[in-house]
Amino acid sequence: MPHLLLAHLLIAPQSPNLEIGTNFTATCMIINTDKFTADDLYWNLSQATVSRDQYTKINESALNVTVPIIGEKSEWLFCLCKKVSPYFALNKDKCIHGIYLTKGYRPGKPENLSCQAVQETEYISTTISCKWDPVGHQTTNVPTSYTLTVAVHFSSTTYNVSTQENHAMVHFVSSFPTHMMLEIWVEAHNKLGRIESEHLKEDAGWFVKTNPPSDVKLISEKSFPTSLLINWTHPIPKEYLKLTYQIRFCPNGSQSWTYVPLVDTAMDIQSFRLQNLQPDTVYVTQVCCKNSRNGSGYWSNWSTNATVRTSEDRPGKPDLWRIIAEGDGINERRVQFICKDPVLANGRITGFNIRIQDQKVPSPVNRSESGSFTILQQIHLADKKSVKVYVTADNSVGKSVEALLVIPEKSHELKVWPQGGRLWLEWKPPNSTALSEYVVEWVSGDQTDWQRENRNTRRTAIKGNLEKFVCYNVSVYPMYSGRTGKPASTAVFLEQGAPLEAPAVRLNGKPGHDEAELVWKELPQRRRRGFITNYTIFYTSATKKQKITVPADTTSYTLKSLTGNTKYDVWIIASTINGSTASFNHSFTTLKYAPGEMEGIVVGVSLGFLFIVVVTMLLCVYKKDAIKVNFWPRIPDPGESTIGNWSPDYPLKAERPKENGLCGVSVLDVDVCDGKCVFEEDKASLPLKKDKYLSEEHSSGIGGSSCMSSPRQSVSDSDEGGDMADTTASTVQYSSVVASNGYKGQTPNSQPQQAIFSRSESTQPLLDSEENPDTLLQDGSRQSHRFPRRPCSTHTAGSDDGTNPGDIMEQQGALESLDFCPLEEDCEQPTADGQSAAPVSNYMLQLGGYRPQ
Amino acid sequence: MNGHVKSMRFQQFMEPATTLLSLLLVMAVDSTRIVAASRNQQCGNSLQQTLKLTRLVQRESVNLIKTYKASQGEMAEHLCKASVNNVPDPNISGLEPSERLLSIYTHLQDFFPHFKRVYEQQTDLQSTTSPLLRELSHLNASSRNLADLITSFYRSLFPNLPVPEPAGGPTTLPPSQNVFQQKVYGCVVLKTFKELLSNVPRELRTLKSKVCRRIQIYTLF
Repeated sequence: MPHLLLAHLLIAPQSPNLEIGTNFTATCMIINTDKFTADDLYWNLSQATVSRDQYTKINESALNVTVPIIGEKSEWLFCLCKKVSPYFALNKDKCIHGIYLTKGYRPGKPENLSCQAVQETEYISTTISCKWDPVGHQTTNVPTSYTLTVAVHFSSTTYNVSTQENHAMVHFVSSFPTHMMLEIWVEAHNKLGRIESEHLKEDAGWFVKTNPPSDVKLISEKSFPTSLLINWTHPIPKEYLKLTYQIRFCPNGSQSWTYVPLVDTAMDIQSFRLQNLQPDTVYVTQVCCKNSRNGSGYWSNWSTNATVRTSEDRPGKPDLWRIIAEGDGINERRVQFICKDPVLANGRITGFNIRIQDQKVPSPVNRSESGSFTILQQIHLADKKSVKVYVTADNSVGKSVEALLVIPEKSHELKVWPQGGRLWLEWKPPNSTALSEYVVEWVSGDQTDWQRENRNTRRTAIKGNLEKFVCYNVSVYPMYSGRTGKPASTAVFLEQGAPLEAPAVRLNGKPGHDEAELVWKELPQRRRRGFITNYTIFYTSATKKQKITVPADTTSYTLKSLTGNTKYDVWIIASTINGSTASFNHSFTTLKYAPGEMEGIVVGVSLGFLFIVVVTMLLCVYKKDAIKVNFWPRIPDPGESTIGNWSPDYPLKAERPKENGLCGVSVLDVDVCDGKCVFEEDKASLPLKKDKYLSEEHSSGIGGSSCMSSPRQSVSDSDEGGDMADTTASTVQYSSVVASNGYKGQTPNSQPQQAIFSRSESTQPLLDSEENPDTLLQDGSRQSHRFPRRPCSTHTAGSDDGTNPGDIMEQQGALESLDFCPLEEDCEQPTADGQSAAPVSNYMLQLGGYRPQ
Repeated sequence: MNGHVKSMRFQQFMEPATTLLSLLLVMAVDSTRIVAASRNQQCGNSLQQTLKLTRLVQRESVNLIKTYKASQGEMAEHLCKASVNNVPDPNISGLEPSERLLSIYTHLQDFFPHFKRVYEQQTDLQSTTSPLLRELSHLNASSRNLADLITSFYRSLFPNLPVPEPAGGPTTLPPSQNVFQQKVYGCVVLKTFKELLSNVPRELRTLKSKVCRRIQIYTLF
């Protein structure tokens, strides 16, 4: 206010809200000064000066301006004073005043107000939601607000809610005012005005949207195959709302709903019977509901689907037809009766019953599962005979009504046959006295010709030039004084020949494992050169050739029972009565595996492998000890030897009997190489040792441990042996250790000084096997095992002459026939003088010298 | 001659006048009938609306008694067999239709303080989420709506008769009670209210035959 008191200009009105599209007039008044007049004033709208045409001078101190309000952007309107005096320069800020023009639109009348209260559990929600369409524009500076008002009549209760949106909710106290009258409207308002929508004045139930009907059930009854009963439960007690229902249904899979007329469901019902349905069809049904009062309320959502199949019923009439072909005999036709399932099968068709003319009992025929129709029966029918055929279809409920088909006798109105290079015609005259003449016409492709015959003519020959192998359609037209009657026509060849070609056969799709579908096109008429009587399909694999004959009207055939992974050649032969022509080969290879077979094999192998693995694992677990013994035998540990417990005072006498019982023989096999090696080494070492080797050190192993239980150590003197090896390759020194103690762990020799040492200087030639050092090396161990099986007595007997070749051979033969014997098996009664005999007789071939145990 | 001519002219004038008067009379009677029929229909509609709400409140009261018994624990059946003083009378009184209609209204009004008391008592006895409290609140609101409808109907039927102001006066609430007494009191209040509601539809049907038809008769003559 102090500022205003000092100011010299003042605009009225202050900060107005202006409606866009109108004109606004403002007045600028000069106050607190007389330094200038209204003539010195001017107006600026934003930055631009307003034209003086828009000014109106009220008096010397007041100036009006009228400006059109355009554009939505708010702007400033200034009143200013011209620079007319030095006073202005000094009081510049007092000579300007501005107002802010806020622009906007008047609110539009809200339209399409609608309100809805939904059902919650048993009650109706205490909230009613309303929405409306705003009308008109609004600016950010002049926004439009809405106030929704719901007035409950008779109770003088009014609810208000304001919003900036175009929807709002009103919450009732405690409960929805069921059966009360509601008046609802919305008011749009802003700085420029306010306006109310149309008032909705309706019963509260008018605004209710209930839940869909619950527990919708469809009931199919066996005795009513074309009807279904629907039951449902009211979603809300009828004290709240009386409902009307809507029902829709369609066959399962179809989206084309059929709606039950509302007049049929307008009552307060809880069940309805759908009628005129198709038997044995799955139907889906939904139900919804709304307030039964006309024109009020909202339809609920559709209920969940209720689905059921109608009962089966007797089938409808089957679709009976026939195929007529030329018969095998003269004046005879081959008639094949075929049948499709009835359009109204009303269940699953299990079969048909065909009855021909005078048959009393119909013949049942099973329904064909492949193909689109079932071949019922084939008969040969004389041309002059007609026949009636009756067919019924069966399903689980019963039989259909009979379908009738009459095959009339073959028409003989026109008969055409070639004879003598001409085509002859014979026909029956029509039953008309108005007949004047006949016209005989023959047509082939685009060529037409005709001739006229007298009214009394019954037989004639075509006079034109006809070609062979061309199909002519011959017609005889009765003429009635220029008027053409109904013709009799037939197709005929002057002469038939083999077709020019056979149709190219190909596969339809890919071949299967054991079947392939062949297709071919019908031959063009001009390539046939006769009536095609049939097609013959040949198909060959590497091993066999097969053929199938199919009718002339066939253009596809499925080969079955083929061998998998086999190449087939296939061709087709088209035949007329005068010849046949074959098509080119078409090759294909059947699949190795039928669909799913490979998967089966893989699964089987996997399961088998898994089984083996499991069994192996189980064996390993349960036979762990046996496997361990077999594959990793326990090696005696010298460290665990009982030698440490041996008594040094072990009685020698106690060992005697064992010595006497000696029977085992330990053999040292020494081959040439070994002999050499050993002796060569020994040559160097022997002079130093010159004495005797302890057999413990040189002939241990099998030879030293197998049979000799004597505690005496055997000592081998290899001096002579070394010499022998040097002199002849075919001889070997046999060194026998008759007393050896083998392992250190065995019974120790308590009298090492009394060890018995024996030596053989046999010159026995080497065995064949012994001559092969490699073999010997490999078999040395094994042979050394064999020898001990030789009975000791033999050696004892022959040991007197160690150089006897015969004995040596005998011994060798015996050695070859023997194998290793355990200590117990080698036991033999000792000789009388065991002490003397053993060293002499028990020569043992030592191979390889020392062998580790 | 002149007189005869005049008489002839008068007769010629009278014939159309009579016809016109007859037509006007017929139109008047017909319009009266239309108005009467319209008023009668309005009366029937209001009564029908009141009947619907009465049935709804009756249903809610039946359900509420079941919920009440279920929430009072053992001996609930016996609670309702006791008698309690100061509970409003469920019987509708009066001789004239206006009196009987007013009686319905006042009886309904009488129950509201009792509902409030029962609600307060049960609030202490039940959890806040108890369906009993919700249903009590629901019944209270519906009953008030019913009272509003009846008073509106009364005013439309008898515009010149006064409507007594509700609340306060004759209704006497029981003194402070122990828990058992509260349970007994609540059940008796609800049971009595249900009895009142079972009487109301019969009254309304009687009123319909008497009052709505009488309006038509009054209007015709």
